[in-house]
Amino acid sequence: MNRKVDAVTVEIVGNLLLSIAEEIGIAIIKSAYSTNIKERRDISTAVFDPEGNMVAQAEHVPMHLGSLLSIIKEVYKKYPVEQIKPGDMFIGNDPYNGGGTHLPDITVVAPVFAEKKLVGWVANLAHHSDVGGKVPGSTSGDAVSIYQEGIKIPISRVCQNDRVNEEVLDFIMANSRIPKERYGDLNAQIASNRVGMRRLLEAYEVYGDLLLDSMYELQDYAERRLRAGIAKLKDGDYEFVDFMDDAGAASPDPIKICVKISIKGDSMDLDFAGTHEQVEGPINVTYNGLLATVFYALKSLIDPGVPSNAGIYRAFNIIAEPGLIINAQNPAPVGARIDTCMRVADVIFGAMAPAVPERAIAGCNSSCTTAVFSGTNPKDKEHFFVYLETIAGGAGATKHGDGLNGVQVHMTNTSNLPIEALEMEFPLVLVRQYSLIPNSGGAGEYRGGQGICREFEARFDNINFTGLGDRQLFPPWGLNGGENGSGGAYYLKRTDGTIERLPSKCSEVVINSGDTITIKTPGAGGYGKVRNRKAEAVLTDVIENKVSVEKALELYGVKIEKVGNEYRIAG
Amino acid sequence: MSYMIGVDVGGTFTDFSIFDTRQGKLSHFKHSSTPEDPSKAIVSGVLHVLTEHCIKPEEVSYLAHGTTVATNALIEKKGAKTGLITTKGFKDLMEIGWQKRPSLYDLLKERPESLIPPGLKCEVNERVLYDGTIDTAMDEDGVREAARYLKEQGVQAIAVCTLFSFINPVHEMRIKEIIQEEYPDVYITISSELVPEFREYSRMSTTVLNVYLGPVMEKYVNRFEKSIIDAGITVAPYVTQSNGSVISIAETVDCPIKTAVSGPSAGVIGASYIANQCNIEKIITFDMGGTSIDVSLIENGKTQLSNERLIEGYPARIPMIDIVTVGAGGGSIGRIDEGGALKVGPQSAGATPGPACYMRGGTIPTVTDANIVLGKLNQRRILGGRMEVDLELAQKALTEHICSKSTLSLMEAAAGVISVVNSNMIRAIRMVSVERGYDPREFTLMAFGGAGPLHACEVAQEMGIKNVLIPPSPGTLCSLGLLMADTKFDISRSNVMIAEKNNIQAVQKIFNQMIEEGKAMLDKEKVDEKDRSFHCVIECRYERQNYEIPIEVDMTMTEDVMKEMIEKFHKEHFKSYGDYNENMRIQMVNYRVSAVGTIEKPDLSEKNVNPDAKVPNVIEVRNVLFEGQKNYLTTNVYQRTDIEPGCRIEGPAIVEQMDSTTIIPPKWVAYTDGFNNIRAAFQGGEKHE
Repeated sequence: MNRKVDAVTVEIVGNLLLSIAEEIGIAIIKSAYSTNIKERRDISTAVFDPEGNMVAQAEHVPMHLGSLLSIIKEVYKKYPVEQIKPGDMFIGNDPYNGGGTHLPDITVVAPVFAEKKLVGWVANLAHHSDVGGKVPGSTSGDAVSIYQEGIKIPISRVCQNDRVNEEVLDFIMANSRIPKERYGDLNAQIASNRVGMRRLLEAYEVYGDLLLDSMYELQDYAERRLRAGIAKLKDGDYEFVDFMDDAGAASPDPIKICVKISIKGDSMDLDFAGTHEQVEGPINVTYNGLLATVFYALKSLIDPGVPSNAGIYRAFNIIAEPGLIINAQNPAPVGARIDTCMRVADVIFGAMAPAVPERAIAGCNSSCTTAVFSGTNPKDKEHFFVYLETIAGGAGATKHGDGLNGVQVHMTNTSNLPIEALEMEFPLVLVRQYSLIPNSGGAGEYRGGQGICREFEARFDNINFTGLGDRQLFPPWGLNGGENGSGGAYYLKRTDGTIERLPSKCSEVVINSGDTITIKTPGAGGYGKVRNRKAEAVLTDVIENKVSVEKALELYGVKIEKVGNEYRIAG
Repeated sequence: MSYMIGVDVGGTFTDFSIFDTRQGKLSHFKHSSTPEDPSKAIVSGVLHVLTEHCIKPEEVSYLAHGTTVATNALIEKKGAKTGLITTKGFKDLMEIGWQKRPSLYDLLKERPESLIPPGLKCEVNERVLYDGTIDTAMDEDGVREAARYLKEQGVQAIAVCTLFSFINPVHEMRIKEIIQEEYPDVYITISSELVPEFREYSRMSTTVLNVYLGPVMEKYVNRFEKSIIDAGITVAPYVTQSNGSVISIAETVDCPIKTAVSGPSAGVIGASYIANQCNIEKIITFDMGGTSIDVSLIENGKTQLSNERLIEGYPARIPMIDIVTVGAGGGSIGRIDEGGALKVGPQSAGATPGPACYMRGGTIPTVTDANIVLGKLNQRRILGGRMEVDLELAQKALTEHICSKSTLSLMEAAAGVISVVNSNMIRAIRMVSVERGYDPREFTLMAFGGAGPLHACEVAQEMGIKNVLIPPSPGTLCSLGLLMADTKFDISRSNVMIAEKNNIQAVQKIFNQMIEEGKAMLDKEKVDEKDRSFHCVIECRYERQNYEIPIEVDMTMTEDVMKEMIEKFHKEHFKSYGDYNENMRIQMVNYRVSAVGTIEKPDLSEKNVNPDAKVPNVIEVRNVLFEGQKNYLTTNVYQRTDIEPGCRIEGPAIVEQMDSTTIIPPKWVAYTDGFNNIRAAFQGGEKHE
């Protein structure tokens, strides 16, 4: 341990830096304009040491864990430190150049100076609902190149001498379908960084250089904690393979994702050799995205309390050749990278199951099942609406109990938009159903979580629908004898009664008044052998319509009869 | 001759504050709590007070208590057998909720236990649209069938929540009628009556929580009323609500959810009263007990309200005092974690085994143990001498669990536990102040609860707060607060409209309706015309934002009032979020009316302040290590009851009393005012030197 920084200071300064990051986040959520930021909190905020290593991060979505990791270093590449002045802020979104993990995530960073001394950086990242590209919402199911996914913003100086460079904002606004919203959101990002700058400066005034020493110590601390957790695991090699359905129309074949994890003492190697190469579809992942995923999985499996900072990335070693789908190179499209990250999380959880039996979890819905509706109300053509929703599914069962039903898993944890808020704000669609799907959770001693069925009815003609999902062909796997959960699907039902199953990555499907899009999300895998499930648990599932009477008999061998309104175990 | 009695029910003790209105005298009394039936301790305590003070039962002119019945029923999951009726396609909403998992990284964490038993969620075919028009007419036979089914299943309570009922309640009202026809005895709440506001999950959840508690509360109220009547007391008892007011006990039967987080609110009412007495406009309350600390902010006598909060994992959308609670109390546990950092809380040693120094078998170091080692707490006896403590056990716990796992010495470990717990409390204070757009340095920190006065000055100094107030009896501020409350009803509506001339009439119509409702409620409470007031608020946002800011408005909406509201909104937006935009259109979203009935309060008179008051005798001289000091300082200890108004004590000093200990660090001066409050002020310049 750094001798200048004791156990007390590391805790207090760690709390302080995290609260700075959190206050930046609160400021954005409250003042942003778009629903995606305000209601779904699709943002992340962080504080960095003067060299640009992340020392504290507040995030609401695990996908953002690594998203800010290299942004300051990229700033330094373009602007040497002597060119960085008080009152500067920088903006960027290029995933291949230090930005987030896909183009809609725009990052704004600000150096913090005490007099002339650089004492750190603050940063925030927000998911913007539209940054141009071939489809509204920017993430297109059939993109074959990142240039179809919207504007790329190279690292640029967005503020100088505390003044916003409106030209940069104009450039971005001109490339968005909803420029007014961009303007409001970007200004919220800039203003909230000022909150963070003020607080970091106050902290420096109190602690002086001890603050900087503590920043370095905090990274060592995080590394030590993760290593302490790894050291408790049994040494050995652990492997797992899973597949993604496809990468859209241009790349329709299944995609292999695999990992070999070697644990030795307090260190860990994750080797992704054998994983599919990058594809002509939006599901590629940049190296930062892979780091985020590995960190998420290890944090969940080993030590949920380990703080999010740059130190943890020293505790493990990733082997992934450039050009793989999980270490993609420009110009591979990355809009829907999260589904691939989900599958990477699944294979890490699968591989680690024997090493961490207490915290192991069966295969989850692991798809960020997305629906985007866009169009105009014919009575009010001025407004162009883009409504984006991600729909949760099942979580895998564990040694300790059934999986959660209808819940966001792994890399995402955004909330839904309340139906009443949605229908008042976006007059495009009506929600006809939002319910858990019977029989979608994999059978087992503990049942996997259920998927969700959400049905949208179009209220006008010429509404554009884009769907992005996965786990529609390769279902979520069971663990230790548990059965697989069911896969997801998109359906389009026309007013004439015809029903069409849409591909898992579809875009620009035009629907008209009265047509319905029905989205079924995947369930999740069960845990342990079916025969060990208690009959009473099966009965409760039947009463709750989580399992049908037929499936209770077929899968669990429990015969249930209905007498009047009562279900009971027969015989 | 009349007496006012306030009763605060705690886990261990039930506190009584008694005010003799003729003599203007206030006294306090403590009684052991009876957790299995809290009303027992209340009634037997009241009887004891009557005998002790030779009061005839009919001389009790006011009796108020805070009830934990709803809170406990939720914690112990002992609510009513509950059914739900909702719109077809949405019966799983209570389980899906916001579709978020309970912990981002701890995947083993379960969702909160369901309040509705399996098979008791029913759907009916009906649908209202966002503008209140009916898309699908209601299937009345289906409703009747559902009502019969739930009756057959033996539910005791039914929650009804359908989509967009907040804008057009016609379906919910009809469902209620049908249920009453089919099952007259069942407890029913429809969401449009309880919380007619948008966002269906929050509304449904609030409704379900309410019916879950309804029958339990009904039973309690009947029992309590009976035992009070049996005791000969003629006045109708009041109960505290989470919004910081009292309500007659019979009213809680309809809205038990409104009492569910009322626990800490009585202390805030008490603090608000004292602030008013002392003419202090800005107060942050600092109520620290054994397991947690409750922090809130009061400005110009007004407590801050929030409209939604999670209760046992479920959202409850009811106006309540905005109190931030963190797991930092005297019993909070200190430990060195795997990475070598010192953590304190949120785990607590609780009442048993409690801190190591309590000699009840605890071996793990707590905040109290650290305070004993540092000399801040009496090293032999605490609670005014009623409880023995063992310094060596405290030292041993710190040595074994903290020093041996770090480079910290015993002194550093004890000081470190205090620094860390203080930093956790500072985060809570920042949450109620900075995050809401207030500068805490402009506020006075009012510390109460058993442990508040121990930490207040040092926490204040760290935050740049220069004034701290310790009320005369910090441990019983809650029961005192119960004597100081008014009655208040909150009524709300949702209707999204642009703030412009055309909508003035529509707004007025909404307010008129709500004011009528409020009048009816005040009639029921028999509040005199002269004691009534109505406060109107419109929650506004910029168009397409999703966070609303409450703006107070006059109850008569005119063009000028609306103009003023718009100006205020821009200002508030700037205060909270650092920017505003006069070109954006403003939407009005929720409308609220608080109908307030003022209740007569005790008049605590100010004592004469003696300008020549002497510093009392020192009862002990102790070596104490204060925050930020390198060495123990020789410190005088005083008895609070020995201090007369007007007395000034310079820090370092310690003031002990039965229910608390006040720390006056170096560079602080403690002045005792005419109300016997300690007013501690920081005399140094910069906070860190």
